[in-house]
Amino acid sequence: MNSKPKLILFGIFLFFLALSSYTVDETEQAVRTQFGNPVGEPVREAGLHFKLPFIQDVRRFDKRILEWEGEENRITTKEERIMLVGTTARWRIVDPVQFLKSIRDERTARSRLDDVLDGATRSVLSANHLIDAVRSSNRSMGSSGKDDEPNPDSAEAVTVGRDKLVAMILDQARPQVESMGIEIVDFRFRRIEYDGSTRDKVYLRMTSERNRIAERFRSEGRGKQAEIEGKKDFELKQIESEAFRKAEITRGEADAEAAKIYAEAYGQDPSFYAFYQSLETLRTALAGGETTLVLSTSGDLLKHLDRP
Amino acid sequence: MAELRRLQGGAANRLPFIPIVIVVLTIMFFASSCYTVDADENAVVTRFGAYERTADSGLHFKLPFGMEQAIRVKVDSVRKQEFGFRTLASEGRSEYSDRDYTSESLMLTGDLNQAEVEWIVQYRVKDAKDFVFNVKDPEETLRALSESAVRAVIGDRSITEALTFGKADVENEARTTLQSALDLYRAGVEILRVNLQSVLPPDPVKPAFNAVNDAEQERETMINEALRDYNQVIPSAKGRAEQVVQSAEGYRIDRVNRAKGEAARFRSILTEYQKAPEVTKRRLYLEVMAQVLPQAARKIVIQDDLKGLIPLLPLDAGKGGGK
Repeated sequence: MNSKPKLILFGIFLFFLALSSYTVDETEQAVRTQFGNPVGEPVREAGLHFKLPFIQDVRRFDKRILEWEGEENRITTKEERIMLVGTTARWRIVDPVQFLKSIRDERTARSRLDDVLDGATRSVLSANHLIDAVRSSNRSMGSSGKDDEPNPDSAEAVTVGRDKLVAMILDQARPQVESMGIEIVDFRFRRIEYDGSTRDKVYLRMTSERNRIAERFRSEGRGKQAEIEGKKDFELKQIESEAFRKAEITRGEADAEAAKIYAEAYGQDPSFYAFYQSLETLRTALAGGETTLVLSTSGDLLKHLDRP
Repeated sequence: MAELRRLQGGAANRLPFIPIVIVVLTIMFFASSCYTVDADENAVVTRFGAYERTADSGLHFKLPFGMEQAIRVKVDSVRKQEFGFRTLASEGRSEYSDRDYTSESLMLTGDLNQAEVEWIVQYRVKDAKDFVFNVKDPEETLRALSESAVRAVIGDRSITEALTFGKADVENEARTTLQSALDLYRAGVEILRVNLQSVLPPDPVKPAFNAVNDAEQERETMINEALRDYNQVIPSAKGRAEQVVQSAEGYRIDRVNRAKGEAARFRSILTEYQKAPEVTKRRLYLEVMAQVLPQAARKIVIQDDLKGLIPLLPLDAGKGGGK
């Protein structure tokens, strides 16, 4: 008979327990509010927590890193080039109490971030040259070694660089959102592009640049061709004349040596040589079967024919 | 009495109800405390929302009735994101979406030219807990980061470098940048690779780029042709030159040997001649005559007083004439 009030008591206890306990997810942080005003420390630990029933409420906020995507903005750089700039950032709620007091929800936070980050991006980019937003360093940009002609644009040096621009934007933006309990974790350029009409002009320039390189290739080809032809002609003449020279020297030397040999031998008795050589000549001159010889009997050879 | 009867009746009515409640509660207990994790999954278990443990694959138990929750995450499977193009169906032959993704693929190079870059990022979940709890939309974050990283890397390269030989470099650097940003967010994601699928000049300037390639080929062709002509001429000329030199050498040997031979012969005869000059001289003369005379086709012997005959001799008839 007395289990009934016990049960009722137990039921009431459960009811109050349910009203005064709440769980906070690992991805969340929470703020207790009393009649709409935050009370106590924000709850950053996930798990089971307690509050006063009825009079206290719980507001939950994301604890994770949240995304922010900037609209593509037209921004004029220092050298007055109009660029389309898309940005992306990560942020998180670091002070949920401040956050609740100043902006209340993520949507408002995003629109505040829009203002702050777009503004900072615009002010930093318009004070800097385009190249500083595109390049991060002055590393020498490689070429394949075949068209390493100095390019008017690649000569543009980076004075600030992408990373520093990002740092400058962050420096400008971070203090502005600090009071809202927001921390900007990271900010990056997602894309930086030429605007439509500029893009066409860039294409024209790229085309002309390529034409220039192509023409250089062709002219190089012609030049190289002529060079090889010249080399060929030169070498041909050189080879031929060299050979001629060597041959003539050799022949001359041979003739000289032969002359020396003959002179040494024949010089021993020039008159006998004259006789001997005339006989030799006779022998070779009269050789062959078509000679008609007219011999006189008064000659030495046939004198015995007449007068034995 | 009436009250008592009613109570008894109520008790009798409740009797089969209690076991049913027990059975139902038991079933609910087991249903909400058992869970299985697939081979390629990890499960992140939370108790009242707070991280408790990470479970590997297999059958596991947790506190029932929603006190503990298990969130399954595919950790081993390789995930992929595409940039500048989309694969529609990857089974069998891939089909690619016809939509224009140039806003993703078009980017500025360091020499302020434009290149169209298509790439993929392959990644996997490195840490299920980080993946689930630290970043709100890890996949979208990865997308934004990857676009930013590849652009930053391409932005530091010349168009030639991006188009030709710098590919592996770009991939590596983009991967490193991407990974360090994800580690900064503790996103629990590991980038396996960044793979540039294609790097091309934008359509309007493609013909000009092709013309450069053509011109380069033309140049090589011209050079090759010139070298062909060169090769046609020079080696054979070298051979001919060698021939000329060698034949001169031959001439020298020939000339000197002959000279030496003739000189030797002359010397020998001279020696004999000096021993008996008159006889030798005569003998030599007669020997030559004896050798020469038989060879002559016609021989005419005249006496000195018949000198007037000479103009009458038929010199031309010598060929077929008798003796």
